[in-house]
Amino acid sequence: MSKYYSIFLKSIFVISLFILLFISGVSYKHANSLDTSTELLSHSYKIQIQLEKIQSCVKDAETGQRGYIITHDSTFLTPYFNGRSKVTKSLAILKNLTTNQPDLQKSLDQLQKLIDLRFTRLANSLAIISGSDTNEPLGENMLKGTELMNDIHSKIDQMVYSETTNFNNHQRKYEHEISFTPFITLLLFIFTLFILFIFIISFIRINKDLIVLKNSNEELSISTESIKHAEIIGKFCMSIWNFKTDKLIYSDNLYRLLGCEPQSFEPSIENFLKFVHPEDRHIVTNGVENLVLKHDTYTRFYRVIRKDGQERFFRSIGKFIENFGYSTHIGVIQDVTQEHLNNLTLKEKNIELELSNKELASFNQIASHDLQEPLRKIQTFISLIGEREMSGMSDFGKNYFARIQISVTRMRRLIDDLLLFSRTNKMDKIFEKSDLNVLIKNILLEFSEEIVEKSVHLECAQLPVLKVIPFQIQQLFQNLISNSLKYSKLIGDRFIIIDCEKINAKVYPTLNVPTDNEYYKITVTDNGIGFEQQYAEQIFTIFKRLHTSDEYPGTGIGLAICKKIVENHSGFIFAEGKSGIGATFTIFFPVE
Amino acid sequence: MQNESIYVLLADDDKDDRDFFIEAFESIRIKTIVKTVNDGVELMKHLALNRNKLPHILFLDLNMPLKSGMECLIEIKKTDYLNDMAIAIYSTSASEQDIENAFVNGANVYIKKPHDFATLKKFLEEVITINWQYQTSGLNRDSFLLNL
Repeated sequence: MSKYYSIFLKSIFVISLFILLFISGVSYKHANSLDTSTELLSHSYKIQIQLEKIQSCVKDAETGQRGYIITHDSTFLTPYFNGRSKVTKSLAILKNLTTNQPDLQKSLDQLQKLIDLRFTRLANSLAIISGSDTNEPLGENMLKGTELMNDIHSKIDQMVYSETTNFNNHQRKYEHEISFTPFITLLLFIFTLFILFIFIISFIRINKDLIVLKNSNEELSISTESIKHAEIIGKFCMSIWNFKTDKLIYSDNLYRLLGCEPQSFEPSIENFLKFVHPEDRHIVTNGVENLVLKHDTYTRFYRVIRKDGQERFFRSIGKFIENFGYSTHIGVIQDVTQEHLNNLTLKEKNIELELSNKELASFNQIASHDLQEPLRKIQTFISLIGEREMSGMSDFGKNYFARIQISVTRMRRLIDDLLLFSRTNKMDKIFEKSDLNVLIKNILLEFSEEIVEKSVHLECAQLPVLKVIPFQIQQLFQNLISNSLKYSKLIGDRFIIIDCEKINAKVYPTLNVPTDNEYYKITVTDNGIGFEQQYAEQIFTIFKRLHTSDEYPGTGIGLAICKKIVENHSGFIFAEGKSGIGATFTIFFPVE
Repeated sequence: MQNESIYVLLADDDKDDRDFFIEAFESIRIKTIVKTVNDGVELMKHLALNRNKLPHILFLDLNMPLKSGMECLIEIKKTDYLNDMAIAIYSTSASEQDIENAFVNGANVYIKKPHDFATLKKFLEEVITINWQYQTSGLNRDSFLLNL
């Protein structure tokens, strides 16, 4: 667009120049002809004046002589004596004026002759009067003089007429010439207005462009400055390689990243390579070759050694940009040392994590199959011996045999619980809408014998229907109720109460969740042996037990499983206890 | 049935388990003939060679080298002359996946190897006293895993 605009401006200026030249030409010609005409006019007037001067001089001389003849007063002769020289002078002037007019020259010569004759007649008259010449009578002489005077008059009239005609001809021609003047003047005026208009428009446009240019310049300098700062902050720099001019530009920050002063060396790949780690130089050189051949977008990593000897990791990303018919390569080079080191640490940690995950998986495999298998056989062997050989065994043997059985059973439970704990994570978490009342009922059925045996009073409030993993929730309540039964008091009334209410999270700031969240708060309370409140958190830790297995058998895994299950359901579990009075387990399940 | 011995075949790669199995049947008062094979390949060979004398009940361990119990089960159910045979899965594993697969592939009952000898005897006694001739028609997923 700006291209067409500049052509438009140029053509306007060329057209304007031609119009101006034309106008000047026309005006010059016009002024010239006006000048000629004025000159002609004054020339004509000058001739007429001189002719009239001559006529009046001759007349004065004649009149003066007449006065002298009548009065004989010699003062009347002054015009006659002066007239001669005056006439000669005027004639000389006229000769000069009419050098280019042969007609008039000719008439002038004739006039001069007539005047000479007239003056001769006047001189004759004077001679007659003074008596020196008597050949001719005075009257005749004067009569001839008058005739000559008439000739002079007519000659002068003829000359004036001829000059006037001449002038009029000129004037007519001139008038014809200037008859177009009003039209030309109007045209010139319009042209001038048009040019003025164009110039004003061009001026406005140029002015506008100048403002835009000024603004863009400002923006450009701001963005250049911003890029400079961004480069320093972001630890990156740019290389711009113009393929047409083969000119390479490095931004200032490239030098800084290499530990040098900005523009302290000639931007060239050879100079840059000096800083690249010798082992990585091939990455850069291969890259450059590829770049020239394929014009591809690329990303490369390599090490550089700064001027101060520090090793840094660089990343180059490059792209080709086709612009104005030639390609420019723009490369962004970034110091990614920190990123690289972080990545390395992360990779190491990932490998460690993978390894430990594998170990865990193989441990699970060992626990589930390889450990269970021999254990099952030991148990079977023991039971086989118990069945067949017990009768013949000594009391000593029976005692230790019973202890072996207890230990093996305990080991079996430990392995089973451990497996259950690790599976709590991994099992397919299929959430189903389940009625917790039904789940609890199933569990209570399992414990019914023990509940009757220990005569435990059990109360269970109405529970909600929730989207849960059913068997996990069953496991959760099974563990809690089994705990309550296990740690029940030996004497006195025993009870287990399961309660439920819907609450808002803002009532329980300890949950540390958004306050408008709603939860079901389910509590399992017993009046068993309880525990010291200080252990309230520890009891959820795997293998953490508050009693020896002699007092109360157990593996220390049950509550850890409970915590895991509740967390699988985005819930919370807390324990509250008082030694000798009882324990309360509080579970929060989100309503949604 | 009173007069005729029940022919029981066990395919299990574990010697201890085979011994327990034989021991258990010996102490049961029902007349049985117990034979054992050591893996799946041997089992299929044995069945092919003794077409006329097939076991009444086949006990099949799942985890065996060369050919697993599940592969044997699938193959047996595809074979015309074998597919009437009652099959009891006899495995250490009690994973839902294994139980489900065994059921789908047509096993009659699933026994998880018990931890003590008394239970083992009870299980085996239960299995051989069921009249599979009538039981096969009404397979029940809920009672598939033997639980006494």
